[in-house]
Amino acid sequence: MSISAADAAARSSQESSPVGGGRRKPIAVRRRRLGEVPAAWLLIIPVLILFAITVIYPLVETIRLSFFDIKGLGKPKFIGTGNYIKLFTDPAFRNTLWTTLMFTLGTTTITVSLGWFLAMLCSFAPQRTLVFRVMIFAAFGISEAVSGYMWISMLRPDQAGLLNSVIGLFSPGFAHPWLGDPNTALWMIIVAASWSGVGLPLMLCFAAVQGIPRTVLEAAYMDGAKPFAIMRFIMVPLSMPGVRVAIFINLLGALRAFDIIYVLTGGGPVRSTETVGYFMYRESMTQFKLGYGAAATVILLVAVMVVSIPAIIQRTAGAK
Amino acid sequence: MIKFKGVLGRRALLSGIATAAMLVMGGAALAQDISGELAILQWQGGVDAEMWAKLEADFVAQHPGVTVRELAITAQGDARGGIRTAILGGEKVDLIINTWPAFRKELADAGILRGLDDNWTALGLDTTLSQSWRDLGISDGVSYGVPYTYGDRSGIWYKTSQLKDAGVEVPKTWEEFIAAIKTLKAAGYDTPIPMPAKYWAHGEWFETLLLRTGGVEAAAKLAAHEIPWTDEVVKTALRKYAELLNAGCCGTPEQMFAGDWDMSADQIFKAGTGNFLLVGMWVNARAKGEYGLTEGVDYSLFQFPSLGLGHDDTSSVDAKELLATSNGANPDAADAFLTYIVSPEATKILADYGYASPSSNADTSLLGPVQQQATAAVAASKVQFVLGDLLPGDLVDEYRVQLQKFLQDPSDANIDAVTAAIEAKAAESY
Repeated sequence: MSISAADAAARSSQESSPVGGGRRKPIAVRRRRLGEVPAAWLLIIPVLILFAITVIYPLVETIRLSFFDIKGLGKPKFIGTGNYIKLFTDPAFRNTLWTTLMFTLGTTTITVSLGWFLAMLCSFAPQRTLVFRVMIFAAFGISEAVSGYMWISMLRPDQAGLLNSVIGLFSPGFAHPWLGDPNTALWMIIVAASWSGVGLPLMLCFAAVQGIPRTVLEAAYMDGAKPFAIMRFIMVPLSMPGVRVAIFINLLGALRAFDIIYVLTGGGPVRSTETVGYFMYRESMTQFKLGYGAAATVILLVAVMVVSIPAIIQRTAGAK
Repeated sequence: MIKFKGVLGRRALLSGIATAAMLVMGGAALAQDISGELAILQWQGGVDAEMWAKLEADFVAQHPGVTVRELAITAQGDARGGIRTAILGGEKVDLIINTWPAFRKELADAGILRGLDDNWTALGLDTTLSQSWRDLGISDGVSYGVPYTYGDRSGIWYKTSQLKDAGVEVPKTWEEFIAAIKTLKAAGYDTPIPMPAKYWAHGEWFETLLLRTGGVEAAAKLAAHEIPWTDEVVKTALRKYAELLNAGCCGTPEQMFAGDWDMSADQIFKAGTGNFLLVGMWVNARAKGEYGLTEGVDYSLFQFPSLGLGHDDTSSVDAKELLATSNGANPDAADAFLTYIVSPEATKILADYGYASPSSNADTSLLGPVQQQATAAVAASKVQFVLGDLLPGDLVDEYRVQLQKFLQDPSDANIDAVTAAIEAKAAESY
């Protein structure tokens, strides 16, 4: 039932599409587009210039720097792929790859699953949960540095910390240095980052659920579907586009994570929370090894592209 | 005239008058000639920034033709990244405030600094700064830095009532210090030293222990990598550090990694759960300003206990200095400011903010009792700059991480592993 409803919705969408029937029109369309080329270029050139200055130039410059040995204010020395070779033999960098993977998977899993679950709940009573949704989304708008300082006070190592005092209700005198313990520090950062990040998946999934045509849901009710069946066969599958976008955005954000780590642990203790983003900052800004930091940036860029290009291709294909 | 002839001689008299006239006229000319904009690269915040504003205002009052422009670098913690970015971005200033000797060398190697050896005497710095202070500002044999304030980094802060209540005398020897830790633990303090090992402050203990073990010569050689990190003097210092840890000074490594020095200060002066803190003189301002304590009454400091290894007359110090640039637009005004910063007027402003000055013009009686005590201790010591600020950037990072690993396991085997790891990094860094 649900499948047929979805199919119907899809068919309806195709029929109403302006390019839906389109294999016979290309010649006319192409001619018209060619005729528009000068005007199109005129319109697009300012954007291209801006794009070249703000994106292409820094990108090319970063890649160029990654082939140089630069220490502080000293003169750059061309070393070819030396920085890349050194990176992959540097135990500190290899450690950051693992930490980044854990952080990325951890935050993405928590934020997207929690955001999706809350979206499902909220979708049963959209009006009544408005304030709730706004409050959760507000955390997304808070700077990670600010939320980091809030989490520092919550995770204080003594009994005055919120987490310790809550656990202390059941185990008097409990005090654990959550951010000082290499075994718990990364998990605490994942929790802190997820707290502020859950608002976006909530909104994306909620929007996806709200986008389900009412006719589909009404048809399901009329056919006697139970709420669980409606959720399983209609709401869950049709919320997946929102989930995919949420996963994509969270993956990108997590790969580049820096602020919350800087504030909460500074990459420690003993480098246990140092991600590629933090490593990049440490090498480039603290030690001012710009070439080495640039090489780490390029690696991060490749990782981001590996994640984003399939998603972009998929979204673009969907747009056709 | 005859009298004069008898005492001085005519030529001597004339040359004296001429010299005096030149000095007077030269000084007047100097004061008149100085004009235009003086650009100072300033990265300090809070009270320090306020103090700098006062210093600049006072300088301008003395030299009305000069205007001061501050190139403010906003930074949390290490400001060198911001300073480098500003310089690489094409900013040109006349003076740079600096506190890292390794950074001074980097700037000098990049040709940004102006050597002061030729002007040192003309600027009057030879009479206001002793040779040992001048030496602190030298890189590769050239005087660049004019130190204007310094701090004792081998003083251990404590709250007087805690020691008194526990029946502990201020420890003078290492053995007394270890015994005091045990007494304080018995009195209910779980962590007599709330070790701030989150970032860098755990290195303070090692650095003074290194000085007291090998002296300033060994510390200087280690900073220059003229001896390896696997040298016995480094291992001996770490073994002394291990004695402290094994006496139960500091809690678990996780507790040590949880906080920086400010949290340790809170534990001692606010929560009253810890006793000793080895860190710089800025604790003085925090104790007075944030905790409302009275200097010398509620809290004090004692100099690092003696180890009896022949180097107990050494202290670790930090200092801030002014560096003159080679590309600044107004070298005359920069030179005038270098003279001013060690003048009686400037040292008084520094003292008002609780900062000691190395200048002979400084009146130490203006300082508070704890600051006076620290100043006297430094004056009586062979001093060595904080090791962490002397090391190259990538090495200091590894050094601090390896010291964290040492705190996790202070065994002899791990001391070997930790020193070998730092040495491996040092081999690439120099």
